[in-house]
Amino acid sequence: MIKQVPDPVLELHNLTVVYESKPALWNVDYTIPENHLIGVVGPNGSGKSTMLKALMGLVKPSSGYAHVYGKEIDEVRQRIAYVPQRNSVDWDFPVNVFDAVLMGRYKANNLFRRVSKADKEIAMEAIKKVQLEPFVKRQISQLSGGQQQRVFIARALAQEADMYLLDEPFAGVDAATENSIMSLLKEMNANGKTILVVHHDLQSVKDYFDWLLLMNTRLIASGPTEEVFTEDMLQKTYGGKLNILSRVVEIIEKQGHPIREK
Amino acid sequence: MENFIDFFMLRDPNVAWVVGGIICITAAAAIVGTFTLLRKQALIGDAVSHAILPGVCLAFIIAQTKNPMILLIGATISGWLGLLAINYLSDKTKLKGDAALGLVLSVFYGLGIVLLTAIQQSGNAAQAGLDKFLFGKAAALVRDDAITFAIFSFVLITIVFLFYQPFKLVVFDKDYALAKGLPVRRLEVLLSILTVSAIALGIQAVGVVLMAALLIAPAAAARYWTNSLSWMLVLSTVFAILAGLIGTYISYTVPRMPTGPWIVSILSVFALGSIFLGRKKGLLARYLNQRFHKEKMLKENILKVLWHLGEADQNFEAFRSVDQMQERRFIPLPQLRRGSKKLVLEGSLIRKEQKFALSPEGKEEGERIIRIHRMWELYLTTHMNLPADHVHEDAEAIEHVITPEIEAELAKVLEGAEKDPHASPIPYKE
Repeated sequence: MIKQVPDPVLELHNLTVVYESKPALWNVDYTIPENHLIGVVGPNGSGKSTMLKALMGLVKPSSGYAHVYGKEIDEVRQRIAYVPQRNSVDWDFPVNVFDAVLMGRYKANNLFRRVSKADKEIAMEAIKKVQLEPFVKRQISQLSGGQQQRVFIARALAQEADMYLLDEPFAGVDAATENSIMSLLKEMNANGKTILVVHHDLQSVKDYFDWLLLMNTRLIASGPTEEVFTEDMLQKTYGGKLNILSRVVEIIEKQGHPIREK
Repeated sequence: MENFIDFFMLRDPNVAWVVGGIICITAAAAIVGTFTLLRKQALIGDAVSHAILPGVCLAFIIAQTKNPMILLIGATISGWLGLLAINYLSDKTKLKGDAALGLVLSVFYGLGIVLLTAIQQSGNAAQAGLDKFLFGKAAALVRDDAITFAIFSFVLITIVFLFYQPFKLVVFDKDYALAKGLPVRRLEVLLSILTVSAIALGIQAVGVVLMAALLIAPAAAARYWTNSLSWMLVLSTVFAILAGLIGTYISYTVPRMPTGPWIVSILSVFALGSIFLGRKKGLLARYLNQRFHKEKMLKENILKVLWHLGEADQNFEAFRSVDQMQERRFIPLPQLRRGSKKLVLEGSLIRKEQKFALSPEGKEEGERIIRIHRMWELYLTTHMNLPADHVHEDAEAIEHVITPEIEAELAKVLEGAEKDPHASPIPYKE
């Protein structure tokens, strides 16, 4: 069940991504309306993170395209904040919490611009919102997993974007942190932000999200949570792979065959 | 001594050029090397510095001169080719990164040695001194060298300064930098160019064999003293310049001493010293921290013993002998003596002849440990479903860890329960 909407803020059109000759996303095609709190759910290795990276233009699609706010990503980057997976960086890097959050204020269009006083105030506001003030001067490796995750979220907040894409923000995070992050996201959503979260825990899906993407390399479903979050759909998402598709994937991988002509 | 003054007062203009040149070379290497280290490319630095040798030799063969600028250009080009070869081999072939590094390092270096030998046997008088590229020739730098190095290193350091923020972001979190739309690819290429250039510059001082140390060791040492990137840059520069000056001084005063190995040896002393003494995660700091905790546990255990004895006969002020204490809980005699002595000094224990008693402060502290111990035992049985005979050992360790905040929370969760799982009363504060 894939529900298409007019005037989407997020649109993937027939998007296919291949990693080292193995398809990670296959013909994913969806449209999502504005101001939703969107969950992306699927088993491990089902292309959820890849889909986020494709949205941000971090991986090149083999075919198809991604549009955000109806435009190429490069035209609207300022309006979108990306929160990578926590384990994607080396936390031993010599910066403290404040410096790390301040990176959210760096501007891509002026590399030589130094951060201003206003930037620092905005960063401090973001740190307060995620309740990290007591740790402002702390080196980031001396934080717990939940605190590190909040550093990433504060950095995204400091960007003052309209849309937030979060890759597994609740992985390795304690329950209290998960709750406080979630209520922050709900508050932002209430203030008109569109938020997309890659998520693992099926139990909380209904409470957290009002729009759902179910994925397993291909898109299984996209639509309002109450319509999509059904036994049948979950069975399709988690219940084994599509037999023929996975056999084709295997052949492509082994032979190094290109997945698209050109 | 006279030597020392002559050298550092720069009385001899030749020495002044040497010192100036060394400062430029080592500072540039340390600043660029800090980013190389943080990008986890220390070994790439080593391979690239070896890959520079054939470039130097070819530049000499073609131009027939030892003009530093021409040799630098040759060095940079062949270092860059080495880097490209590493990237190509590890990205496009089945070879893993380490194999690609080893291959490029030995092939380029081997080629360099062949060319160097050929030049030396060609009978060209101008070649004298070219072999200094193996181990450096800092003490033999002349005016032209120094000026070239000054310009070169000024450009390198200025670029790092200008791009400080984007470099920091790209090295820390590449995906986020890409998502923000920073020209990540170009910034990475720029960082690599800086690395190759700093190496090409640095081999003049320490030679190709030891160049990686000049690049990496200052930053590695600095990392043990600070958690801030800007301070790391400052400190690594200071370490590198100091080592450069000391090493050069030694090879200036003692004839036939090679410069490069001395600079690198001094740097190694800095790096090793930092690993042991460093304020951030240095081995000594870790050892002291561990010892501090051990001493704290010892003292708390002694107070506990005395409190237990007091609880048994309801007399907390009584003086007890060492034997009595050891009977209650065995603590080896030297430790027991040492701990008690400290506790007396701190005012937690009172000593009379060979016996000890709790002071009011000591009693309170001992009671606090027992309270936490018993509350923790109870918590483990009621909230973590452990059987009562499994919880004592856990509590023995945790009682030394729990902070007043957690203690308060524990008390709240246990709702004022009176006895621990072994039916001993929990001594709450009145």
